[in-house]
Amino acid sequence: MARAAATDDAIPKMSKELCNRLLMDLEKAKRPVLYATKCSLDNANYNPKVGYLTPGNKKVATELNVSSVKKMSRAIFMLEILLRNLSTGAVNTKRELYYISKGEIKHNASLKPLDFADQDESDSIIDFICEMLECYREEVNCYANDRGGQTYSQQLVVTETLPDGDKAVVDLSKLGTSPFQPKNRPQNLKLSARKKIDFCLIVESEGTANTLVANGFTKRHNSILMGAQGVPSNAVRGWCKLIQDQLNVPLYFFGDLDAYTMQNIFRTLKAGSAASLIRNSDFSAPDVRFLGVLPEDIKKYDLSDYAVKENDAQEVRALKKATDALKNDPFFQDKRNKGLSQILKWLLEHKRRCEQQAFFMVDPHDPTMPEKIIVEKIKKGNYI
Amino acid sequence: MLFVLFFPNLDSAKLPWLNPGMAKKQSKAPSKKESSSEAPAPKAAASTPRSSSSSNKKITTSSTAEYFSKNLQQVGFSSQTKAVLTTLKEAVDNALDACEEGGILPEVHVLVEKVGQGSLKNSDQIRVRVEDNGPGIDQDDIPKVFGEYLASSKFGRGRCSRGQQGIGISAATTWAQLTSASGAKVITKTKDMRKAVSCMVEVDIKNNKGVIKQRETLDWDRESGTTVEFLIDGRIQLNGEAGLLNYLNGTSLVNPHLTLTYKLPELEVHTVDRVSNTIPDVPEATEPHPHTMKLGEFIAHSHLFGQTKVSGWLKKGFSRVHEGVLKDLTKTGGIKSSLLDRSLSTLTDAEFKDLFVAIQNQQLMAPSTKSVISIGEEALSKSIRRLGDVDFFSVLTRKPTICDFKPVQIEVAIARLQDKGIEAESAVQVIRFANRVPLQFDKSACAIVQAIQSVNWRAYGLAQPKDSVPQGPYIIAVSVVSPFIKFKNASKETIDASDELVEELRRALIQAGQKLSRYIRKEFKANELEEKLRHIEQFCPILVEGLCRITKAPDSRKKKAEEGLVKLLGRDARDTEKELNAAAEVLEAQKVKSDKAADAAEAS
Repeated sequence: MARAAATDDAIPKMSKELCNRLLMDLEKAKRPVLYATKCSLDNANYNPKVGYLTPGNKKVATELNVSSVKKMSRAIFMLEILLRNLSTGAVNTKRELYYISKGEIKHNASLKPLDFADQDESDSIIDFICEMLECYREEVNCYANDRGGQTYSQQLVVTETLPDGDKAVVDLSKLGTSPFQPKNRPQNLKLSARKKIDFCLIVESEGTANTLVANGFTKRHNSILMGAQGVPSNAVRGWCKLIQDQLNVPLYFFGDLDAYTMQNIFRTLKAGSAASLIRNSDFSAPDVRFLGVLPEDIKKYDLSDYAVKENDAQEVRALKKATDALKNDPFFQDKRNKGLSQILKWLLEHKRRCEQQAFFMVDPHDPTMPEKIIVEKIKKGNYI
Repeated sequence: MLFVLFFPNLDSAKLPWLNPGMAKKQSKAPSKKESSSEAPAPKAAASTPRSSSSSNKKITTSSTAEYFSKNLQQVGFSSQTKAVLTTLKEAVDNALDACEEGGILPEVHVLVEKVGQGSLKNSDQIRVRVEDNGPGIDQDDIPKVFGEYLASSKFGRGRCSRGQQGIGISAATTWAQLTSASGAKVITKTKDMRKAVSCMVEVDIKNNKGVIKQRETLDWDRESGTTVEFLIDGRIQLNGEAGLLNYLNGTSLVNPHLTLTYKLPELEVHTVDRVSNTIPDVPEATEPHPHTMKLGEFIAHSHLFGQTKVSGWLKKGFSRVHEGVLKDLTKTGGIKSSLLDRSLSTLTDAEFKDLFVAIQNQQLMAPSTKSVISIGEEALSKSIRRLGDVDFFSVLTRKPTICDFKPVQIEVAIARLQDKGIEAESAVQVIRFANRVPLQFDKSACAIVQAIQSVNWRAYGLAQPKDSVPQGPYIIAVSVVSPFIKFKNASKETIDASDELVEELRRALIQAGQKLSRYIRKEFKANELEEKLRHIEQFCPILVEGLCRITKAPDSRKKKAEEGLVKLLGRDARDTEKELNAAAEVLEAQKVKSDKAADAAEAS
């Protein structure tokens, strides 16, 4: 099934087509088979021209049989709820959809066999529907809690088209110390600049981003400053993509020097992930550059680094994953990302890590020293 | 009864008076008797204080009975509940061994009851009575059997009898004597006796002798048999792994020819009828294999043969030693041929050692496996049904084999109980047997449990946490039979886990698991079929209705789609039905095969 077009009626139309095809097969006593794109690293290609991970040709086939009839019945049941939401414009979280489905079953005893024992069961059905329709869950009005992406700027203006057609204009310079936070589906936003914006800085730690703003970063530089808050959510990924496409400004990522940040945070921001192959086109910002912390920064600024803790499961796992990534991840294998794979190799070889906050030790009496280093790095092109 | 002369199963390090070399060293003067054929037996010597020229401390020797009376915990009397179980166990073991020796189908009656308060703190006074229809005991042997330690007809004979050492029943008498001030009450009658003899037997602890009191004769309504009754302090534990019921059930399982009637507190009289009329033919003992002995045992063994030539002793006294081996000893073993022609009594300890080492270095054939006894798959199959309502079971008898240079035979029975009250996540019940005696304590260190834990039971359809025994309403019964079982302690509660034995047990368990898995597979397929049929019934209308609502399809389409879906899923159900039939056929083939094997065994 082709990727759904991003028009309002695309999902209902595709859903009806899918159901009709199922019904026709059943009328002929023919076994329906559904195909979905396989979302895993072994089906991920890195296309340097577009700059993100794209799906390969592998498909997962789901055949209707006695074993899968329960799953299929649940999927059609949940699809009905989602289509109803789309028609009314209602949105829900996965947790809310779990309770909505429980409510439906409570009021219709014949649906009792479909009952979900816990939210994991209903979540997997929602994911299954998205795989069948090849759409994002936001496209069926199922939103996650907005997380990360707190944005500050003295130049940026955001115009949002509301469901009723009204437009809301947010001038970020008028928000004082409050940040602007993007929604999980930032495609409805239009961006403009009151003055020329020189760059966009995405900081891994939202706390550090707030510190930089409090110390006057956005006052001194025509910039957009954003906190990613760890692994970027759909909101952060889509927001970065929007800034890249609509404002055409250079984007820099500033975060820790460790395997986890490189693979789970920066790679996801820049090229998307294997789990979201079908939506990387809208949820990755291939132009973003890795500003640091770079291995050479440790020596240059005499930063305090430390050895990877052998008993820290997450750190050890990240290093193991880095070994695999160098062998199997098409992103790190591509020659255009050689600089990034060199960092991974350095991390594997030295088994050391350095945090972004280490820049605060360079001159403890000057709170703007990290800002100065960041700006200096941008000016000198000291990034990858 | 024969007084036994060497002790392959006892750890001579723990019991220093068993070490003949030491005996020789310690007593130069009175050692004339010791050099005779009865030399190293633990004499029931009176406590004889002796003075030493170099020390003022008096060195005393203790009798065997004295040793055990102070160390009863070593032979199963370490707690009050264990005391009751061990007393019962020793009495039943003796009854069964006696019946087998006499070629009699055993009928054993057991009574365990509380008669009052015990003399020990928090104890009850318990009566344990065991009555059998065995051959009875000659009057002269009564004090030896019940009142003298290491007086046994079985010790070290290399036969698969339950009792081996002649310790247990005397220890029970000692416990009764220590806690209730009365020994064992015995009534016995042999075929040759007109009247039965009734008496009290006590242990003369200082001299390791049985003493008979209150002897009288009486008329008894049977041709032969023995009743033994103990009044002991203890506490009764009926259930659980260390419970009396577990012991009695286990004993019934591995003795299909036994009719057992028991009366336990708070329970009605219960009879377990025999399911086999075949008395197990306990194979005759084979001579010991030199590679299974230690030097001390080797020397002690020589004392049985007095003035015999060394070559004659080696050929007659050991298995797998023949003329060819003797030639090799002189050719390559460094033993002079003149030494082989000398009388045994002229050999020094050093010469014994040289000879022993040379034999250890020779390649000898593995010992014969003819001395082991098996219950047999057919008898086990019948017997296992006596454990309760059984869904299905698998039994397996391995061929006798050699482990650690000792003949051994493993049998396994696995049954699933119908008792649905047993929680699915509770560990299976493991019943362990050594020479057809249930083992009920210290299971974690036992070779049997280690072997069970090493098998991947998940492959056979049982739930199993990592490195643990499997879970569910199953009984796994494992029997190890060998004339030389290596126990970890004198109370025979745990079989030593040597690598070879654990591997042999593991193989037996795997084979039994494979047989069992055919039942589980069939059951799984039947459940699968049932679930599929239920799925068709439940989900077909829901799915089709949902599709029709989304597509706004008319009722005509709905009906047609429903019919199509039922047809479609019906094919799946039929496929499962075929698989179920195939699984049933495999199971049937297995049954036919085992029936044929049983018939063949019966015919032979």
